[in-house]
Amino acid sequence: MTATLQKKICMLGGFSVGKTSLVKRYVQSVFSETYLTTVGVKIDKKTVDLSDRIVNLILWDLAGEDDISSLRMSYLRGSAGYVLVADGTRPSTLEVALSLRQRVEADLGPLPFVLLLNKNDLREQWAIRDAELEDFRRNGWWVESTSARTGEGVEDAFKALAGRVAH
Amino acid sequence: MEGLPATVAEELQALTYRERAVAYLQVGADLTLVGAGGHLGAYGLAGLRLGEPAAEQAFFLEGLLPPVETPYVVPSMELASGRVADLNFILQDDTLWVVLLDVSAERDAARRMQQKAYDMTLAQEREAMLNRRLEAANAALLATQRELEASHDALARAHDQVQAQAAELAVWNKTLEERVSAQLVEIERMARLKRFFAPSLAELIVSSGNERILESHRRDIAVLFCDLRGFTAFAESAEPEEVMTLLHDYHAALVPLIQACEGTLDRFVGDGLIVYFNDPLPCPNPAERAVGLAVAMRDAVAALAKNWRRHDYQIGFGIGVAQGFATLGQIGFEGRFDYSAIGTVINTAARLCEAAKDGQILVTSRVAAAVADAADVREIGPLTFKGLSRPLAVCNVEALKVA
Repeated sequence: MTATLQKKICMLGGFSVGKTSLVKRYVQSVFSETYLTTVGVKIDKKTVDLSDRIVNLILWDLAGEDDISSLRMSYLRGSAGYVLVADGTRPSTLEVALSLRQRVEADLGPLPFVLLLNKNDLREQWAIRDAELEDFRRNGWWVESTSARTGEGVEDAFKALAGRVAH
Repeated sequence: MEGLPATVAEELQALTYRERAVAYLQVGADLTLVGAGGHLGAYGLAGLRLGEPAAEQAFFLEGLLPPVETPYVVPSMELASGRVADLNFILQDDTLWVVLLDVSAERDAARRMQQKAYDMTLAQEREAMLNRRLEAANAALLATQRELEASHDALARAHDQVQAQAAELAVWNKTLEERVSAQLVEIERMARLKRFFAPSLAELIVSSGNERILESHRRDIAVLFCDLRGFTAFAESAEPEEVMTLLHDYHAALVPLIQACEGTLDRFVGDGLIVYFNDPLPCPNPAERAVGLAVAMRDAVAALAKNWRRHDYQIGFGIGVAQGFATLGQIGFEGRFDYSAIGTVINTAARLCEAAKDGQILVTSRVAAAVADAADVREIGPLTFKGLSRPLAVCNVEALKVA
């Protein structure tokens, strides 16, 4: 019989970077062009089959905050890992993601995380240099480009994170 | 509910329970579900099993159990059912109560406000980004405009330079045309003058630019007359080709000598030649030059005569030289002009030439006096000539003195 684990994963990032859309793409395989801001937190569950075990990812889709002091740390309690999301067409959202990561690490210690540069389908508006991402990777960060609209990179990123938090 | 009448407090509790869709879960110390109640269905929590792990049935509890503190609130949590609840964690007698209170209306109201704020912020960000792009495009356009202006300036400079060079070229062309025209005129003048004068004299006249010297005037000149002795008899007996060959050799030998002495060749008259000195351009010692030429001519013809004698031609050569005033200038009419001299001095030279025997250079006493230092002259005596009223003292130039 395959063991079943349950892990809490938080979605973190500035507003309108696509956190809710990434979860919706991952859990329901759909995408909506309409932007609807998240207030508080929205809970979803996705079961991931890692071949040697089953993991229930409990996804906490937190409201986007540009002011990291507004982040409710009570939402993050008990997280096994988190997903940092930035909008590749808005460089300021990368700065927000980096600040959030510092805040989380300061409060919860080092946890597995992945940095997703979302909206990869809008390459003509892309405003983040590849060299900058390479710098992150050289520092041991796990960085992926995703598109909630097309689904590019979404499933792989969540599944890989599930693997990291489950072991 | 302190201070409220019991009936109002009870009504209020009933209202809260109904409107807030109150539900609760009771979690034991071993984190299993020990009780549940209220509007569980509203939150998708129907069918809970007591005694089983609470977080496996209410997965939003994952990571929250056991709570690090109580009372503890996780606000505004949207569950899978779509309901939004505040989760209140209350510990009582080793049992954790998780009370869910519906805050969907409050969440929706907050979301409407937040949505407007974020939409506005996004619009401002987009506007700022568009502005940056517009500024970048504008900067690129300005740079292109500057490049175009620079290119235009360079083109204008090149155009001006080409115009200036074209103007310069036009001036050069005009100058060249004028030079060519002037040279054509000079060539024509030279060709005309060379008919009368030695080439060097003709060039001198042209370079002096003064053709008035060709107009009729009087001047003291030395005149040299020469011709061949026995030529008439030879011409009568010889073939015309022989006559022409002899004349050709004769002229070919003498004309270069005339030119070398800068004498003015008046004309050929068969075997006769007339040469002046001191006209149209003045020269020092005209008599001396004329005598020098006469001696050179005599030597040249003597060399020719050796060949003539081999052909049995009986031909001699005589020369007369006189000096005096003559009237000189162009004679003739349009289409046929000659530069010629008229005066007694011409006749005198002609008569002296006639009187000269083969190898003689007869000169007047004036000429003899003029060349006394340069030539050995022997007096022959006074001779009477046709056309001259008085006898003339005549001398023969025997040789030039060695300098």
